Amino acid sequence: MSWAPASLHPRAVELPGRRLWLIETSVLVLVGAVLAIATVNDLGRETDINHRLVADLRTWRQYTHHNYQNVSIDQETLGLGSEREVLCGNTSAGPPGAKTQICLGIWGPVANGMRTVHGGWYLPPYRPDIPANRYGCFGAAGRGRCPR
Amino acid sequence: MSVAAQSERGLAGVRSERWAPALATALALLLVLAAAEIVLDGAAGRSALIPKSPDISAWLSGSGERLGFRVFLIALLVSTGAYGGLIALARRSRAVVSTRSAIVLVAALQLIVFAGPILLSTDVFSYIAYARMGVEHGINPYLHGPAAIAADPVFKYVGEDWIHVATAYGPLYTLLSYPLAPLGVVGALWGMKLEALLASAGTLALTWRCARARGFDPVAAILVVGANPLYVIYGLGGAHNDLIMMLAMMGAVSLMIASRPPAPSGRREASAAALVVAGALIKVTVAALLPFMIVSRRRLAPILGALAASAVGAVIGYAVFGIHGIDVIAALNRDAAFVSTDSFATEIAHLLGKPGVFPVDHDLLKAALVVIVAHLLWRTWRGYDWVAASGWALLAISVTSTWLLAWYILWPLPLAVVTRDRRLLLATLAVQVLFILHQISPLLAPVK
Repeated sequence: MSWAPASLHPRAVELPGRRLWLIETSVLVLVGAVLAIATVNDLGRETDINHRLVADLRTWRQYTHHNYQNVSIDQETLGLGSEREVLCGNTSAGPPGAKTQICLGIWGPVANGMRTVHGGWYLPPYRPDIPANRYGCFGAAGRGRCPR
Repeated sequence: MSVAAQSERGLAGVRSERWAPALATALALLLVLAAAEIVLDGAAGRSALIPKSPDISAWLSGSGERLGFRVFLIALLVSTGAYGGLIALARRSRAVVSTRSAIVLVAALQLIVFAGPILLSTDVFSYIAYARMGVEHGINPYLHGPAAIAADPVFKYVGEDWIHVATAYGPLYTLLSYPLAPLGVVGALWGMKLEALLASAGTLALTWRCARARGFDPVAAILVVGANPLYVIYGLGGAHNDLIMMLAMMGAVSLMIASRPPAPSGRREASAAALVVAGALIKVTVAALLPFMIVSRRRLAPILGALAASAVGAVIGYAVFGIHGIDVIAALNRDAAFVSTDSFATEIAHLLGKPGVFPVDHDLLKAALVVIVAHLLWRTWRGYDWVAASGWALLAISVTSTWLLAWYILWPLPLAVVTRDRRLLLATLAVQVLFILHQISPLLAPVK
C-alpha cells in the first residue's frame, strides 16, 4: 500500500486510547454481569421446573398406583409456560408405550410433594398423544380433547 | 520493606515453588480421571448423554456404570475446577508445568476421549449421513435431509431434529467426508473421530507455534486449549467438524504471524487468506477472520488470496453440488432461525419474563453483532491486533447466537492465547463457565 497516503498505512502500534480501553472494559463487565444474572436466573428457573416435574411424577404414580419409571412428560399440550403438564404412562406393566396408556393433566401448587390431577384421557398402545388417538377423556384436563 | 518482611516473602515464594508443581500434578490427574470416568461410564451403555450409536467402545464397557447426569456433571465441574487451577498455575510461572508434562497431559486427554464412545451429540451421524447420501445413494445433501436415506444403516443414529435438514456445512467439508462413506457406519465413525483427533493435534501444534512466535509461553497456551473441558469432552468427544475449521483458522494465523512487518510476504498473506476461505468452506463462521486480516495489513495479497480461493471453492462446490452447495447465505439464514435453550438470548428472554426468543429478538441480536464487528474493524484500522479482534468477533457470534452449543464457544479460544489482550481469554473462559453453570440443574434437582 505504498501508493496510499501515510495515514492509510497499517499501524505497527495501536493509537493510544486509555479512555477507549476503559469504556470497552466497562461495557464488557456490564455485559458479563447481565449474562451471569440471566444464567443464574435460568438455572433457578430450570431447578424449579425440575422440582415441579418430580412432584408431577409422584402424583402420577400415586394416582395410578403404578411405580413405573417410564412416564413421559409433555409441557406443551396444555400450554407452553402454563406450568400445566400432561404425564402419560402404561396402565399395566410392559415396555414403554406397549400397553394402554393413561394420560393425566396435572397443575396447581405443589403440596406435600404432589400436585392436583385435573382429569386426562387414554391412548391405545404405541400411539402418540394426538387428539385422534385419545379416548375416555375425563375431568377439566380432558374436556374437548377427545375426538367427537 | 523490612528485612524480616523480605525474608518472610522469600520463604513463602520458596514454599509455593515447592508446592506448585505437586498441586499442578494433582490437578492434571483430576482432569485425566474425570475424562476417564465420563468415557468409561459412557461406554457402559445407552444413557441420555450418549447418543444412540454403533457399539464402538464395547471393549471399555466392563469397568464403568451407565453414565447419568449426576456423575457427568460432577466430572464436568471437577474438570472445570482442575483446569482453572492448572492454567492459573501454568500462567503464573513457566517452571510449574514442564513442556513434557503439558504435552503428555493434553495427549492423554485427547486419546482417552478418542478411545471412547461419541459423547453428547448426534452431529457426527449427520456428517456420515450426508456423506453416504452423496456417495452411496447419489442424493445431493444440500437439497435433502437424511430422511431421504431412511433405509440406510446410519439413519437410525441421526438426531430426530435433523432428519429433514439438508447440510449446512461447506462443500469442502462434505467432499472431505466423502471418502469415509464407503467404510460403513462404524468405519466412517472411526474415520470422523480420527479426523477430529488429527485436527485437534494440528490446532494445538499451530497454537504452540503462534504463541512462541508472539513471545507467549507455548506450554500455557496449549494447556489452555488442549486441556479445556469443553474442548475435550464436547468438541473432541462429539468429533465435531469445528475442530477442522479451527485447524484452518490457526493455520491462517500462523502464516500471517510469519509474515509480519517489516518483512511481510505477499505469498504467505495470500495463502493465509486462502486458508481462511478453505476453513469457511468447511464451516462458514471462520470467514469472520477475513475482514480483520485485510484491514490490518491493507495489502492486495490477502484480498487476492481470498478471491482466488473463493473462486476455486465456488467452481468445485457448484460442479459437485450445484447452486445449493455454494449458497452460504441460505444456510446461514436457516441456522440463524434455530433457538437452543442454552443460548444467552433465551436466558435473557426468560430473565425479561418472556417464554422464549421472539422473531424481533433475532433482528436485535444481528444488529448488535453488526455494531460489535464495526467497532472491532475500526479498532483494527487504528492498529489493534487483528487476531484479538477476530477472537472477539467469534465470541460475539456465539454469544449473540440464538443457537448456542458448547463447541461454538471454543472458536475464540486458540486466538485468545496468542494475543496480548488478556480480556479476550478472560471473557471466553467466563462465557464457558456460564455455559457449564447453566447445565447443572439436573444436579440441583434430579428428575426421577
